[in-house]
Amino acid sequence: MPKINPKLKNSPAERAGKKLRVNNHKPDLEKTVMEKIKSGQIEMKPKWYFVAGSLFMTIGLISLTVGAIFLTNLTIFLIRKKGPGYGRLEMMLASFPWWIPVLTVLGVVLGVLLLKKYDFSYKKNFVFIVAVFIISIIIAAFAIDYFGLNDIWSRRGPMKRLYQQFENQGTTLPRGPGRGKNW
Amino acid sequence: MRYLIVLQYVICRNFRNLQTKNWLKLVELVRNKDRELYSEIIRRYQNKLMRYSRYLINDEDKAADVVQETFIKAFINLNGFDTKKKFSSWLYRISHNEAMNAVKKYHKEAPLDLDFDIPSTDDVEGEFDKKEIVQKAHSCLDLMPIMYSEPLALYYLDEKSYEEISDILRIPIGTVGTRINRARALMKKVCQK
Repeated sequence: MPKINPKLKNSPAERAGKKLRVNNHKPDLEKTVMEKIKSGQIEMKPKWYFVAGSLFMTIGLISLTVGAIFLTNLTIFLIRKKGPGYGRLEMMLASFPWWIPVLTVLGVVLGVLLLKKYDFSYKKNFVFIVAVFIISIIIAAFAIDYFGLNDIWSRRGPMKRLYQQFENQGTTLPRGPGRGKNW
Repeated sequence: MRYLIVLQYVICRNFRNLQTKNWLKLVELVRNKDRELYSEIIRRYQNKLMRYSRYLINDEDKAADVVQETFIKAFINLNGFDTKKKFSSWLYRISHNEAMNAVKKYHKEAPLDLDFDIPSTDDVEGEFDKKEIVQKAHSCLDLMPIMYSEPLALYYLDEKSYEEISDILRIPIGTVGTRINRARALMKKVCQK
């Protein structure tokens, strides 16, 4: 039984052994993968899957952007209508539907995560892209408010009910017998 | 002499274009006609990916698993490959993701005492010539954090361009340059200890 010289641990022979071991992976690797392909164990995903994926991603990004603009605008609208100038600050804070700005932030975060999936996100300065994305949302929301579109929506059209519901929330007395009395 | 250099450049560029076209043709063939031709792709890339995975995870068997998983995932998602891009960069990207998963699963990255500033604008290449860097890279990569060793290995050992490295690691080209430069400085410090 030949003794193994410990000095040979990193000898060329050892290294050759290592190389041989690496080479042994090659036919196995190719064979294993090809066998899985031939036996149908692994299947190629169809083209439509990827087309649908990128389509949904684009639609998702657009929806999130539009949603974030709408919610930001709604926040601005409500601050304007219920703000400290029109009543007490505490009353406004208590009755303000906080889920709207929270949902806006969530929409923006999801939008940023989706933006990261696109190739341009790493080719350009991503911080700059995110800044442009957020600033665009804010500008668009203020533009809608500036041109009075939200006032129009709150008076007529399909969103009238929604706007009026938020507008009146916390400012009207609760309905029902005995309610709203100062005991 | 000048004409010869230009001619050589044109021939090289055309040869590269031809190679790229052939590879795209092969991918198209695998996608639409003959799946068995995928073995050609495996044969062409397995050595390169094996080497790449090995210096990311430092374990022969796990690196082989990573490469196998890379080829399986690449096959499954072959229809998602955008032919306007480079096939090798796409394949390396999958391999990178797989290797990173393996690193997270099996290893804790070796912490490195980075209590010194690495000026990114230093021309360290002037001090180290390319051959020396390649030679040292083989022995020093394990001692460096993956963040620096990976772009360095891709640039010097796999001979990838900055643009290709940017596509593989999904970082801006400027960051690739900075990391490679820092990696050289780090190599100078770490390897000469």
